[in-house]
Formats: sequence, C-alpha cells, structure tokens
Amino acid sequence: MNFLKLIFFCLPLTLSSCIEIIDDLSLELDGSGCLKFTVNLSASKVKMNSVLSLDSLNGKRVPKIGEIEQQIFKFKEILQKEKGINSVKTDFNNIDFILKISIEFANISDLQSSIKTAISQVSLVENLSEVDSKWISWDGNTLERLVPKIIEQSLKNDKESDLDLLKTGSYTCISRMPKIISKTSNLNCKLNPSRTASMLRVNTLDLKLNPSLLKHTITLSPE
Amino acid sequence: MRKLYFILIFGNAFSFLCQGPERLIPCQAVTVFSINNTDLLQKLSVDEWISYDFMDEIHQEIFDQSTENKSVKEAGLDFDKRLSLFYGKTSNYEITGFTFGIKDRVALFKIFDDFEEINTEYKNITVYQSLFNNLLIQNNNGLLIRIEPMEAYLNKITDSVWYARGNVSPFYEPDENELIFDDTTFQIENSFEILEKTYFELRDSVEFELQKHYYSYIIDDLLLNNRNLFSQDSTFRELLTHESPGVFFMDNSRNIDRANSLWYLKTILPTLFLDVQELYEGNIITGDLTLKTSSIQFDLTAKYGSALGSIYTEMNDAKFDKNILKYIKKDQPAYFTYTINLRSAYEKTFEVLVPLLSKAHDPDVSFNLLMLKLGNELINKDALFDAYKGGLFATFNGIQKVKTKKITFVYDEQTFEYSEIETETEEDMPILTVGFSTKRQDIPEMILDHFSKITSKFEKKEGYWVFQKAIFDAAPLYMLNSNGLFIITNDRELAENHRQGYGDEALTKNQIKALKHSGSISGFADISKVAQKFPTDFIEPSQQKLMDFLQSKSGKVTLISGATTKKSTSLHLNYSYNDNEISSKHFLDLLNTIYLLTR
Repeated sequence: MNFLKLIFFCLPLTLSSCIEIIDDLSLELDGSGCLKFTVNLSASKVKMNSVLSLDSLNGKRVPKIGEIEQQIFKFKEILQKEKGINSVKTDFNNIDFILKISIEFANISDLQSSIKTAISQVSLVENLSEVDSKWISWDGNTLERLVPKIIEQSLKNDKESDLDLLKTGSYTCISRMPKIISKTSNLNCKLNPSRTASMLRVNTLDLKLNPSLLKHTITLSPE
Repeated sequence: MRKLYFILIFGNAFSFLCQGPERLIPCQAVTVFSINNTDLLQKLSVDEWISYDFMDEIHQEIFDQSTENKSVKEAGLDFDKRLSLFYGKTSNYEITGFTFGIKDRVALFKIFDDFEEINTEYKNITVYQSLFNNLLIQNNNGLLIRIEPMEAYLNKITDSVWYARGNVSPFYEPDENELIFDDTTFQIENSFEILEKTYFELRDSVEFELQKHYYSYIIDDLLLNNRNLFSQDSTFRELLTHESPGVFFMDNSRNIDRANSLWYLKTILPTLFLDVQELYEGNIITGDLTLKTSSIQFDLTAKYGSALGSIYTEMNDAKFDKNILKYIKKDQPAYFTYTINLRSAYEKTFEVLVPLLSKAHDPDVSFNLLMLKLGNELINKDALFDAYKGGLFATFNGIQKVKTKKITFVYDEQTFEYSEIETETEEDMPILTVGFSTKRQDIPEMILDHFSKITSKFEKKEGYWVFQKAIFDAAPLYMLNSNGLFIITNDRELAENHRQGYGDEALTKNQIKALKHSGSISGFADISKVAQKFPTDFIEPSQQKLMDFLQSKSGKVTLISGATTKKSTSLHLNYSYNDNEISSKHFLDLLNTIYLLTR
C-alpha cells in the first residue's frame, strides 16, 4: 500500500454532508411555468473535492469533474428537445459545487415526463422506478407538491453515520402562483405578504425520516 | 559398514518424510509469511485465528456454502507444521498461495469439496483442481496455488492475436451519423455486441492457455527440478530455523514493485534506478515477530550487495537535525523523522550507477545515462543539496476545526427571491505537518515570493506564508521558514503561535534521547489516538479494512532503525500494550497489520 497516498487522501476529509436544495416553481394559470432547481454543496466542498480526487469509492468509479460537466450538458441537450420544454439553462459552479437548472415548460405533465426521460438517458439512476412518479400536480386551481422520489431515495440511502450532519442541510420548496393563495395544507408553509408565493423549508434529516413533511397543497382564491 | 548404510538410508528416508510443507513454496515466491502454528494456536482459538485478513485465502477456499458451520479445526490441517503464505509477481504472471501440513486427508476433502483429482505425471504427488486453484499434496504436505497472468500482459497478447486476424477494435463505436440509417441500425448494434463478445472469448482462451503454461513452468520447476524457495535460498532456509512464532521474507531483487520501497532513490534519479537490476542483487529483507511481556517486537533486516550497501552507508552517514525536536510535541499522537545525507547518497549513487549503466546497450538506458551525466555537470549541486539536505519530519496532530468558505442562500421575506452570499464555516480536518532541513532558506522564500506575485492566494504574513484555499480549494496551507527548517502545515496554531517551536510542550529529554539514538528512521504512533481520529470514509476499501482493524486496537508503536553497514541495515518496530488481551492475540493483530500493509 502506498502510505503517502493514504495520508494525502485523508488530509482534507470531513464528513459534513451538508446539502442545500431549492426547488422553486413559478406557475401560470394555463399550467405553463418555470422550474428553478438549485443544489448547493458548497458546505461540503472539501468532501466533494476529496471524493473527486479518488479513482474509485466503494468499488465504483468516481467521475472526473469534466465528465460531470458533460453529463449536465447532455441532460440539458436531451431535456430541451423534449415536447413541451421551451428552454433549459444550466449553470454549474465547479469551485463551490453549486448546480442550477432552470426549465421553462408548457405544462406540468410535460415537465415531469421530460425530466424522467432525461434522467434515464444520462443514466443518473440505476433504478428508473425511482423517478417514475409525479411530484407536482396542478388542476388549474390547486397545486399539490411532494418531495421528488429520486431525492427521497437518495436521502434514504445515506449512511446512518451522516444523520447528525444531515441536520445542517435543507430542502426549500418555493411555489410562485398566478393568483392569491387562499390556503395551504401544511402548517409549516410560509406565505409572502402578498400571498402569491409559498415557501416550505425542511432540514434534510427530518425529510429523510419523514418525506411527507414536504407534502403540501396550495389552493388559489377563486377571484 | 552395513549399519552405517542403514543409518544413512533410514536417515534420508526419514528426513524426506519429515520435510515440512515449506519445501513446496515455489522459487517464484517473492514474499513469504510463515507462522509457527504450534506456538500460536495453543494460545488462541482457531475460530479467532481464521477471522484475520491473512487467513482470507485459506478461508475463502475452505468455506463456501456447502461447508457452512465447519471450521479449520475440521479441515484436517496439521497445526504442528508451519503455515506459510506466499506471493510473487513478474511482469507476465502473479502467483499466490499457501503451504500447510495435513493431518487427516479425509477431513481435508470434506472441506475442500470443490476440488477434483486429476491425472498427473509428477511422482508421489496427487493433484486436485478447482475452478481457480490447484491443490498439490506430497506426503502430508499441501500446496494450494493460484497462478494468474498479469492483466496488461494478457491484454497485449489478446490484442496482438485479435488485430493479426484483421479485426477492428472491439471497443469501436460508430458515431451518430453512421447510425442514422434506420434499417441497418439494429444490425450494426447487434454486430458490435457479437464483436465484443468474441474478443472477450478470445481473451478468456488466452488467459486459460497462459495459466496452463505458467502453471506447468512453475510446478515442473518445483517438482521435477526440485527447485523450491527453501532449497534455493539460504537466507530463507536460515530464517525458518528461527524460533520466533512468525517470520517474514521478501526478496527485493525479484520484487518488481520495489520502486515503492526505495522512493528516495526515485527522488534523486526518477527512472534510472529501475534499469539497474545489478544494484539489487542480494537485496533480501527478512523479519522476525517476537512475543515479549506486554509487547511484540518486529525486527526487520535488509541485506544487500556491495553496490546498494555502499549507497546506504553513505546515505545513513548523517547527523540528526536538533531543530526538528522543537516542532514535535511530547503528546503528539504520531510523528516520524528521517535523517539521511542526501548529498553523499547522490554522489555515491552516481559513482555506482554510471559504470553499471555504461554497460547497457539499451537506447532508453543510454539516454537516461546521458541525462544523469548532464544533470551532474549542469546543476548547482551545492545549492540543490543545501536547499534539501535530506532530513525531514512529519507529525499528525489530531483533528482540528479549520475555517473554510461556503455559499449560503439568503431569502427576501417579501418575495422569497434568494441570493448567494459567502460565509465562513468550520470543518474537521486532520492536522499534518511536514518539515525539511535546509541551509538555503532563501530558495523557498524566493519561490514563494514569486508565487505571491502571480496569485493573490499566496500571502506573506508576519514570519510565515499562507496559501489560501490550498487544500481542495477550501482550507489554507501555512509555510514556515524558521530554525533551518522549511515547514508545510495546515496547523494554523503552529504557524501563528509556535513558529520557534513548542517550547515546554515539545518532546521530553527521554523522548529526545531515544530519537537521537534511533539511526536514520524513527517513528511513534499512539494507535488509539491516530487510528480512531483518522477519517476513513473515502479511503480505498483495502485501506479502510486496515484502519477499521486498527481502530479496535490500543497501544503504542515505536519504530527505530538500527545500525547500517555495507551488508545490511535493520529496523525495529515495537508494539506495546497494557490491556488484558493475551499476547498471541496482539501478535496476530500485528502480523495482520503487516500483511495488510505489504500485500
């Protein structure tokens, strides 16, 4: 064993598995809108960099940063060719490990099926059934939101030892509506003063233990 | 006279029958661990014994689903004989295996139930084969051996056969334009699958043939020519006469991975030393593991020929740099010092290597020689070896919180719009320090000054330098140039408050005395402090296993080098413990650690 390699691999390793996710949906009455999805791993960048410096981890090959960027590009390319997707923008900050994806869509159904197609084609998940679900539904007056299955599964797969550190992570679900919100089903949902946007924030440990914490329904005022 | 003949004949027959299993170790073995079973097994349960990593090979072979709930006790092994594990590698093949005594052959085959007897031309030998392994039994001694071609060599042979047959690359993928034609797409994709499968079928056949070839070569040599490591190597023979419970043998002259163990030569002459086989003649490393009251000692001796011996002697003719002592704390969880005379080592290596390399007619070696001679003439050796004299130290100072930056999103309460701000955060990080003795403090200073003009990440502070975000673009690295040492560390405390050393917190007089008398290498580790604090989440699985293993241990390890002569040098590792576990358990713990480190 190359002992020097061992020492230098371990030098910067920490276990701060802190992830911040922002799931920001803007919706129009006709069901079109824009989804901005942000994943912020900057609080774990030492860990991310350490993992990326390895050739393999737990018997699986670790991709190089260029390959990750290629995958993101491929994801964007596939997504913007899908039916009902008007535009896709991606931005990956490879220093702080922040990924931003912005998708303009014609309707919620197209958005979800397009994302499923793109995920399956870039082989982001081994088991496609994990993305084979709907996490947003809209009937013209009521918006129902859940935590995406792919994220729920990822959190469940996390090791037990990361539990304490998951407390520092968060999942923020923002919904921007075309009309005034009359009610929300989740007491933890916060409304802005003009009652046109809601925000629900859950820490990733609570979310791992109870994914239904993020479940909420937003009902618009009839006026 | 008749009586004498009888005694001689009887004596020879008796000695043949009593030959140990170690005579079945092939000459091609480079590394051998041999355990004197009786001593150990009387003190330890076999069930515990088989849980060690060095028993993996045996364990895997013996235990499969069909033999569940059985143990080594039921394997028919003779634990009064030595059990030896061996390993060897050439650029073409790799051999692994072990030799053992057999007490009950019927019981043995209840456990080794995957093996089938095959016909053999070898006299007095019974040969059995399983899918991957070969089991050879001679009298009451067994040899389990696995021979595998090296992957690079196997691929080279397969590729040469594959392309000679006019095939295209099996990994060839047509670009998108070639796949546009709908009618043919399916056929094209299908044909590529077949192509790849055929290539791997060929590869399997080549592998099988190579295995057969090397198996015959090694076993013929062992059984027909009667050439085994025991009969061919007097050092190995002598080693097995030692009464110590465990012995270690490595013939470094045949070790193609030796570059790892002589890194300092690689530092001086990056590729040259690998070309000089002659340099390693007689380079054999042997070790004895000895049980003592509350401690285990591992004594390692490296023997070498006159060429390597003269280099080692010059290299070790160095004075310990006292300044190093100021930067090691008395309660340091682990530290390591290394003192060599790099200038003398270089001069002697140059003197020894040039005549050896001059004999070679290989163009690459000849080019390397030219580079060496040019370097010797053109480089300012005074400046080079004053800048790095050859003394160094390294310390591990536990885990500390290190300040890093992170991006946080802040939300506007009116609109829930969000923006990024940079905030400080703290992350746990192992604190490591490495320092080199130098006479030319102006040289690192000149380099750092230059870097500071190129990037603002290099900043000169009062008495030290900081390289911001040096470690994975997050944590800073500090560089100190004081007391004739150039120190690189991620320990902010050391850089800001202990640039002149730790004062009263530094090593005690007794610790210093031991260090000074330790020769060129010295090390100390408090296992409980080091292994338990070392972050292990991202290390390779084999290394993870070692760290997991060490984390359950307590005790202190000290390492010192002994006298260096032109013929040999020695290294002594002492593992002391103060718990109630029996010493043989600690012995196997240490043996397992050495096994994991050297395999």
